[in-house]
Amino acid sequence: MKLKLRFSRSQLCLPYAVFLILFVIAPLLVIIYYAFTNGQGKFTFDNFTNFFANSNTIGTLLYSLLLSLTTTVICLIIAYPTAYILARSGFKKQYVLLMLFILPMWINFTLRITALKEVLTVLEGNISLHPFLNSVIGMTYDFLPFMILPLYTSFLKLDKNLLEAASDLGANKFIVFLRVTLPLSVPGIVSGITMVLLPSMTNYVVLDMLYNSTYIMGSLIGSYFSAYDWHNGSMISLVLLIIIFIVTLVTNRFSDKDSDSRRTVL
Amino acid sequence: MKKLPKLLCTAAAAGALAFAALPLSACAKNSNELVLRVSNWEEYIDLGDWDDDELIGIDNPYDAEADGIIGLNSMVDDFTEWFNGGDYGFKVKVEYSTFGTNEDLYNRLNLGDKYDLVCPSDYMIMQLMREDKLQKFSSEFFDRNQPDNYYANNVSEFITEKFEEFGGNEYAAGYMWGTTGVVYNPEKVDVEDVKTWNILRNEKYARQVTIKDNVRDSYFPTLGILNSEQLISGEGNADELLNNTDDETIEAALQILKEIKENVYSFETDSGKADMITGKVVANYQWSGDAVFIMDEAEADDNNPTELWYSVPDECTNLWFDGWVMLKDGINGDERKQIAAEAFVNFLSRPDNAIRNMYYIGYTSAIAGDTVHDYLDWNYGLDASEETETETYSYDVSNFFGEGAAPIIVDRATLEIGDNGEINRGRQLFTQYPPENITKRSVIMEDFGDRLSEINQMWINVRCLDVKDFNPAVVWSVVAIVLAGAVAICLYKFRYQIFYRRKENKD
Repeated sequence: MKLKLRFSRSQLCLPYAVFLILFVIAPLLVIIYYAFTNGQGKFTFDNFTNFFANSNTIGTLLYSLLLSLTTTVICLIIAYPTAYILARSGFKKQYVLLMLFILPMWINFTLRITALKEVLTVLEGNISLHPFLNSVIGMTYDFLPFMILPLYTSFLKLDKNLLEAASDLGANKFIVFLRVTLPLSVPGIVSGITMVLLPSMTNYVVLDMLYNSTYIMGSLIGSYFSAYDWHNGSMISLVLLIIIFIVTLVTNRFSDKDSDSRRTVL
Repeated sequence: MKKLPKLLCTAAAAGALAFAALPLSACAKNSNELVLRVSNWEEYIDLGDWDDDELIGIDNPYDAEADGIIGLNSMVDDFTEWFNGGDYGFKVKVEYSTFGTNEDLYNRLNLGDKYDLVCPSDYMIMQLMREDKLQKFSSEFFDRNQPDNYYANNVSEFITEKFEEFGGNEYAAGYMWGTTGVVYNPEKVDVEDVKTWNILRNEKYARQVTIKDNVRDSYFPTLGILNSEQLISGEGNADELLNNTDDETIEAALQILKEIKENVYSFETDSGKADMITGKVVANYQWSGDAVFIMDEAEADDNNPTELWYSVPDECTNLWFDGWVMLKDGINGDERKQIAAEAFVNFLSRPDNAIRNMYYIGYTSAIAGDTVHDYLDWNYGLDASEETETETYSYDVSNFFGEGAAPIIVDRATLEIGDNGEINRGRQLFTQYPPENITKRSVIMEDFGDRLSEINQMWINVRCLDVKDFNPAVVWSVVAIVLAGAVAICLYKFRYQIFYRRKENKD
């Protein structure tokens, strides 16, 4: 008897669907419930107005945005040339080099930040004097591989014939980069940005460990939850979720457009 | 065999569900074995595995065979063995878990986690009492005529008196207690500066002091700073001043805490110990138990041994304690459970076990009695038979061990003795067993009650960046950066359109 296992696509999705419902959808519904109720369990918009009426939450939002934007920009500036060189280097060296950049990810994150703390102490003396700078360095250190990897893959996929064709048609190196390499690496840039920008808005462990005593969104949510105030905490999570949703929407559009335009380039 | 795939899928789904439900289904129950669910602070009990040379060489009347006190196995295992070897008529298995903060424990209880015996701090005990969640200890537990009732026979009067103040004696059994103060490096900090809580915002030590990262431990010294004059002169009622939570006080505390935030090295949860030992900071706010640990470690540091001191500021100190309480929810009227829970507390209160815990974690046990006194003498006392040049001092411990307790003879250089005989700064012994002049100005911090959310909001406001406090130029430049980012994205889009059109034109 021959055993034939044939799954339809939808059947293969089932395990993930179960996971999704249990651990993503259900908690999300709980968050929405708490965000729009008060202590007595009645429906209210107060938590929402609290968020925007409080100069402290707005300040925190701006601070987190500033921190994550700075981190993202620095990550991009460091990662772009790095990924370019990595993808362009000789075949054998390539993997070794890539490994060197990915290697830190194998070491536990708290351990790395602790080590970074010591290094910064040596460099700066008293690290609590530069909380913002240290947080940016910590976040960059933590998220850099997430920026390098997508860029690296998009450079690998880049068709060398296109570059040669552009040069043949008289473009100098700069124009080739500007008109061919850069547009083709946009999907990598976009996914790199989403992978750095959004987590760095909430990753407060870095701030805690590097003695930045100002809250960012993640710590703000945590502090509401540990103070039994689930309602305001949920509302902040929800607002953050919406911000993330909008950013993802915009960037997705952006990369879709990009693949369309690539078709026209080709 | 067409049905098989579907079957497999169902099985997979069921498996996933079962996996999710795994923690809910308890292990198989043995009717003779009772599961006692205990939850305690992290690193707050002897875990055993001591080296042989760590033997505490004092008389151990509770174990005739041993030549002292040593922790070979963990306390929980020792309890299980002791209980199951006794004549209780049933066996017990301890399910031991830990929590990180009182709030963490409270949140878990509210989420429906069930424990039989937990060890929260003073204010949380008060709150749980008020919410009628606690089960009273039985009268047998407090019966002093039973020599086996180690807790009842050995607990310090000092502790029971403090418990009496909030009516907690029937609900809670003291475990550890202490004060709060400032650990400092006398070589780098002027003694005058540690006499007040104001050291936390003293610009002389800018970014060289730490404070705890929780609202209660920050609010207390802040109120100490706020009411400094009244407290030092003794005019005001310290209990009232330091438990004040009206709007005006909260607002004033917010301003002081913001200044503290700008002045401290960090708001720490645990890193302060290491930073103090390595010398990154010169002073930090500490609980007495951790202070002892820091002093021990700092002087044992091979590279850079430092002698640190503990100071209790002149204004006040927060007297705190952690106690064992039984939860109604967990015990659920089960008499055997209550017996096992009480036996657990009793076993921990057996003086040799109390000493093991004290030695292991550095805190001060609520248990007094001769054996603990012997341990103090063994640990801190100078050997009277040895002839030394050291100037000695008879340190009075009768406020904890009761009238007539012999003083501990210690090196005078480990204490700072004022002209009036009061001791406000010192080393380990002083830290662990504060003298009467300290306990007199100690205040128990009650729970915030219905002011909790206001205080929590104040704390969040301290830590958040307030747009209003901020230089408008900076705020606008942040907004400008965000806008510039948006414009850049638009420009990018636009770029492609130009590109596309040009191509079209060429065609």
